[in-house]
Amino acid sequence: MFVLLNRILDWFKSLFWKEEMELTLVGLQCSGKTTFVNVIASGQFSQDMIPTVGFNMRKITKGNVTIKVWDIGGQPRFRSMWERYCRGVNAIVYMVDAADTDKLEASRNELHVLIEKPQLIGIPILVLGNKRDLPNALDEKDLIDRMNLCAIQDREICCYSISCKERDNIDITLQWLIAHSKSNAR
Amino acid sequence: MAFKRDKKEEEEGTGNPFQNLDKTAVLQEARTFNDTPVNPKKCTHILTKILYLINQGEQLGTQEATDAFFAMTKLFQSKDVILRRMVYLGIKELSNIAEDVIIVTSSLTKDMTGKEDLYRAAAIRALCSITDTTMIQAIERYMKQAIVDRNAAVSSAAVVSIFHMTKHSPDLVKRWVNEVQEALNSENVMVQYHALGLLYHIRKSDQLAVTKLVAKLTKMNMKSPYAVCMLIRIVCKLIEDQNSASAGDTSPPWSSSPLFEFLESCLRHKSETVVYEAAHAIVNLRRTSARELAPAVSVLQLFCSSPKPVLRFAAVRTLNKVAISHPSAVIACNLDLENMISDSNRSIATLAITTLLKTGSESSVDRLMKQIATFVSEISDEFKIVVVEAIRSLCLKFPRKHAVLMNFLSAMLRDEGGLEYKASIADTIITIIEENPEAKETGLAHLCEFIEDCEHTSLAVRILHLLGKEGPRAKQPSKYIRFIYNRVILENATVRAAAVTAMAQFGALCPQLLDNVQVLLARCQMDSDDEVRDRATYYHSILASQNKQLVQEYIIEPLTVSIPSLERALHTYNVHPSPTPFDMSSIPLATVVTSDVTEMADRLSGRTPNSIGTGTIETSPAVTRVESYYEKLSAALPEIASLPGALFKSSTPVMLTESETEYVVRCIKHSFPNHLILQLESDQYIERSAAGKCYRSIRDPRRLRATQGDPHSKVGLQ
Repeated sequence: MFVLLNRILDWFKSLFWKEEMELTLVGLQCSGKTTFVNVIASGQFSQDMIPTVGFNMRKITKGNVTIKVWDIGGQPRFRSMWERYCRGVNAIVYMVDAADTDKLEASRNELHVLIEKPQLIGIPILVLGNKRDLPNALDEKDLIDRMNLCAIQDREICCYSISCKERDNIDITLQWLIAHSKSNAR
Repeated sequence: MAFKRDKKEEEEGTGNPFQNLDKTAVLQEARTFNDTPVNPKKCTHILTKILYLINQGEQLGTQEATDAFFAMTKLFQSKDVILRRMVYLGIKELSNIAEDVIIVTSSLTKDMTGKEDLYRAAAIRALCSITDTTMIQAIERYMKQAIVDRNAAVSSAAVVSIFHMTKHSPDLVKRWVNEVQEALNSENVMVQYHALGLLYHIRKSDQLAVTKLVAKLTKMNMKSPYAVCMLIRIVCKLIEDQNSASAGDTSPPWSSSPLFEFLESCLRHKSETVVYEAAHAIVNLRRTSARELAPAVSVLQLFCSSPKPVLRFAAVRTLNKVAISHPSAVIACNLDLENMISDSNRSIATLAITTLLKTGSESSVDRLMKQIATFVSEISDEFKIVVVEAIRSLCLKFPRKHAVLMNFLSAMLRDEGGLEYKASIADTIITIIEENPEAKETGLAHLCEFIEDCEHTSLAVRILHLLGKEGPRAKQPSKYIRFIYNRVILENATVRAAAVTAMAQFGALCPQLLDNVQVLLARCQMDSDDEVRDRATYYHSILASQNKQLVQEYIIEPLTVSIPSLERALHTYNVHPSPTPFDMSSIPLATVVTSDVTEMADRLSGRTPNSIGTGTIETSPAVTRVESYYEKLSAALPEIASLPGALFKSSTPVMLTESETEYVVRCIKHSFPNHLILQLESDQYIERSAAGKCYRSIRDPRRLRATQGDPHSKVGLQ
C-alpha cells in the first residue's frame, strides 16, 4: 500500500517537477559521440556513421528528466568551438576511444585545454572510455592514468568504461547524468 | 475619450517600431538566445531586429557577428517553426561575416532531409550559403537527393542555391548536371524553369553544348511557360551569335532554320507570356526581313487592343523600342497607337505618343507635343526620359522643328526631377546644339538659365565646360560671362573651378574680352578653395604673358593623352622614382571617340544588346581597355617594357578563329616606331584538350625585321 502511494506521489511529482538538464558531448572524432546519443535516445546502435559536421541537438526524456544534448563534431576544425557550447551546461561528457591508444595523448591534451577555460570552472566532467568490447581497450584505471585525470582537482570528475555496441555500463552512465540534473546537483 | 485613443494609436501606427534601434543594445539582447528554456516569441523579435539592422546597412564586426551567430545556433533546440525559419534567415545574413559558420552544417542537413516540409527548402538555402568550396563534398549526397526531390519547393531551392554557388566554385557544381537534367523533366513549372536556367548557366561558355541543349528542348514540349521564355532568350542569343559569325552573308541564313521556326511556333503558344516573349524576341532580332516580322507585329497589334493593361503596356513598350529600327512594323500599328494616346494609364499613353513621334511625319509633331504637355508632369522620371529620348530623335529628323521642341525641353528642364532625367535633357540639348548650328544660340541660352538653378554638380560642370568651348565662338560671347561668373559667386568649389576654366577659354579666344576676364580671374585668386585659386592663378599668368603659343597649348587645347595611362604611369613613377624627369611623351595618345553612325542609330532606337536571364548587359569595350592590354603586357614581361620608343597605337582584338570552336584565339597588334608586337590570347572552353604546348610560327612574307615572337601567348592560356 505504501509502495503504491509512493509511486503515485512520484508520478505527480514528475508532472509538476519536470526536470531539465543540459549537457555537452565532446571528444576527438570517431570516439562514438553521435552513436552514444543514439543509444541512450532510442537504443539503436549503428556501425557506420558519418562524421558530424558541426553539431547535433537532441532532446531525450528519461523518467521525469529531459536531457538536452549538444553533440559537437570532434574534427580538429571544430575543437575551438567546443567551449562555446560547454558554457553553462550541467555536465560535460568527454568521450574517449579507449581502444585507440595512438590518439590518447591528443585526447588528453584537448581535455586539459578545455577545462582550463575560465568560463567552464566547476562544471562536472564525465569521461567515458568507449569501445570496451574491443580486445585491446583500456579499462577505467588505465584510462584515469593515461588521461591524467588525477590532476583535475577543482571539480567533480568521474570515469566509466562503456560499450555502446554491447550496451555495457550505459545504465550507470545515465544514472550519473540524471543525478547531475538541475535540482540534484548543488 | 475613444476619439482621443484612436488618434494616439494612429500616431503610433505611422512610426516604424524598429526606427531607433541601437546595434550594441540589440546584440546585447541576442544573449537571451543562450537562456533556457527558449522563449520563441522574444527570440523571434530579437532576430527580426538583427535582420533589420543588417538590411539597413549596419556593419557588424567579425567578432560581433560570430558571437551573435553562435548564440543563434542555440535556438536549434526550439521546435517553434517560425523561430527556426528566422534562424535560417539569420544564418544566411551572417554567413559571410561570422567565422566558423560551418558549425550548423549537420543541423541543417538534418532539417533538409527531415519530415517537416516547412523546414526543408529554407534549410537548403541556408546550407548553401554557409558552404564553401572545401565543404561541398560533405553536402554533395544530400544535394543530389534534394535536386530530384518530389517536393517542388525543395527541388527549386536546391537548383537555385546551386546556381548561386557557381559564383565561387564554378567547376564543382558540374558534378550535379545529371540530377539537374532530371529536374528539367519535372512537372512543376518553377522547377523546370530553374533547372533550365542552371543547365544553361553551366554550359553557356560552350556553344556546342548549348546548341545541343536547344536542339533537344525545342523538340520537347516543355510544360512551364517560364522555361519556354528562357528557351526563347537562349535561342535568340544563339541566332545572334551565328548571325555575327556569318556577318558577310547577304541573306539571313536563319530565316528557315529550326531555331527561327521554334520562335514562330511560340507565337501560337497558349500562354500569353510566351507569345509576348516570342514576339518581343523576333522584333528585336537584327537583320530581320518584313516577312519574318509580320507575324510578330500582328501579335503585338492584337495585344495593343487587349483589355489587360499589362499586355497593352508590354506591346507598346516593345514597339516604342524598335520604332527606329523597324518603322514599317510600327506604322502598321499606328491606328492602335492613336487609340492608346488617351489611355487612362499614363505610362501606356506616354509610350504610345513617343512611339508615334518617332515614326510620325513633321505635321503631326505639333499635335502630339501638345498632347504630351497635358500630362507630362504626372508621369514618373523614367517615362519622362522616354519622352526626352523621343524628342532627341525628332530633332535629328526634323531640324526645322527645333524651336518648338527646344521650348518644350527648357520647360521640362525647369521642372522637378532627378539627376538622370536632367542629364538626359541636357544631353539632348547638347546633341541638338552639335547637330544643328541654328539651334546653338537658343540652346546655350537655355542651358545658361538651367545652371542658374542646378542642384547637380556633375551636370553643372559639364555645361560649364560646354559653355567654355562653344561660348567664345557665339555672336555675343560677353553675355555668357555673366552666367559663368555668377557660378563663381554662388556655387560649391567643384563648380567654381569649372567656371574658372570656362572663363579662361573666353579670355584666350576673345581678345576684346581679355581685360575683363583678367579682372575676374584676379578676383578668383582670393577664393577659399585651393583648386579654384590654383586654376585662377595658372590661367591668369598664362593670359598675362600674351604668348600666343602658350595660350594655344595650355588653355585652348586640352590634354590629348590617354588619362588612365597617364594615371598609371604617374603612379609607377611615384613608386619607383628615377633621377630623370617624368617623360610625358611616353604616354600613348587617347583615341578620339568618333561617333559611329551605327552606334548612334542603335542608341536612338534604344536597343540594348540581348542579355539572357539575370546577366548584365555587355557594353562594347571601352577605348582605354585596349591601351591597358599593353600596360598589363609590359608589366608581365620586362623585355617588352624595355623596348625603345613610345607605343603608337594598339589595335582592337582581332578574332583569329571561328567563334563556335572549342578554343578562341585573339590577336592584338601593338605598333611601335621600330617594332610590332603581336599579342596572342587564347581561351579554352574544353578542359580536356591539351593546352600544354602551343607552337607559334609567324610567317612574314614581306620579311620585315620584326617578330620578336610573343611569349605572352603562353601566359594567356587558361
